[in-house]
Amino acid sequence: MLASHPSALAVFAPLAQTGEVLAPAAILVLCVIAGVGTIMLLPSHLKPNWRKLGGALLAFAGLILLALLLRYSANLNRNVAHTVYFWIFSAIGLFGAIRVVTHRQPVYSALYFVLTVFASAGLFVLLLAEFMAAALVIIYAGAILVTYVFVIMLAVQAVTPDSTSAARHLTDYDNHSRDPFIASAIGFALMGVLLFVIFDRAEGVPKPQTSWLAAMTASKAPQVEGTTQNLGIYLFSNQQISLELAGLLLTIAMVGAIIIARRRVLRSEPASAAPAETVVFPATPVDDNPHSIPVYGTENPAQKAYPET
Amino acid sequence: MTELALQHYLAVGAIMFAIGLIGFMTRRNLIVMFLCTELMFQGVAINLIAFARYHGNFAGQAFVIFVLVIAAAEASLALGLVVLLFRQKNTLDADAWREMRG
Repeated sequence: MLASHPSALAVFAPLAQTGEVLAPAAILVLCVIAGVGTIMLLPSHLKPNWRKLGGALLAFAGLILLALLLRYSANLNRNVAHTVYFWIFSAIGLFGAIRVVTHRQPVYSALYFVLTVFASAGLFVLLLAEFMAAALVIIYAGAILVTYVFVIMLAVQAVTPDSTSAARHLTDYDNHSRDPFIASAIGFALMGVLLFVIFDRAEGVPKPQTSWLAAMTASKAPQVEGTTQNLGIYLFSNQQISLELAGLLLTIAMVGAIIIARRRVLRSEPASAAPAETVVFPATPVDDNPHSIPVYGTENPAQKAYPET
Repeated sequence: MTELALQHYLAVGAIMFAIGLIGFMTRRNLIVMFLCTELMFQGVAINLIAFARYHGNFAGQAFVIFVLVIAAAEASLALGLVVLLFRQKNTLDADAWREMRG
């Protein structure tokens, strides 16, 4: 199967030498442009036109980066399909990531995160990690994101009516981000340094040893097809203790989550005493009043840990 | 020889990590903050898989399995905490808990 796959036996292209791909000045300019765009795009008091301009700036920076990288990879282009898929998946993934960060509504942030997960799974398939791609989709898009959407659904807050017309149905903490300038400066400084190290200091990366694919096709051992079976063999022959610890950790986390979720928050006053239209704010269960502590098997209805109603 | 260098994948991972970091620092909604941590996990996972492919062994993929385990445990615990915090103050604003800043 793998031998019939044209790109399967190929190794990565050689690492670029210093300054060959992206000059440090280009990285700096790109990060500044993208930072300004991100500041404008983050939820704030700015008018929608400014947000559109920020989005345009970010797209502009992305296009410049794409053009620079394409110019570099043009002369080593042998397999067009792989390259095209890489650019498509990267563009979708990074677009989804930007929208996760900048969208005002948490539900849409979660849905754009699903988009990013699928794009990452596509990248994993390109990197011959089919099992990890499937696991990513199942665990992230299937399990974790469903949990997020449930929590978003459970934790809906009433909106103050004096919000601006553009985002009337949203709360203040969704509409206004905290310190967008400082955070963008730090984040894009980190991104610039990382890109600089990746592209200009690549000599330190050790050269790859003989590929497992080459060894697999050359060896006379029983032919194991696909990377999934090989990954399983690797995991259960080299990483047994880690696997057991991972299972133990998941069990502990599950027990902890159940204990956290079972804790009941007592309301400060019985619901019958409050008028129907006033909101009863929940009280903290850990104040100094001993009567607010939940008690098992009590007859006092305000003190019951798990009321029957 | 093929098409893409290792650096292309590393760059995508690094950019995704930085975007997640920015989101974690700027957004005030607790749920979106945890979504941004998941975004950072994604960037790291892409890096690990790319290195696994580059070196031709399975250590990177095994690492990603454990990263997924950690992410699942973190999501379950963190979301339980978020629900608990929401029930106490009736808001998802992270600034509502600023007295914990110390």
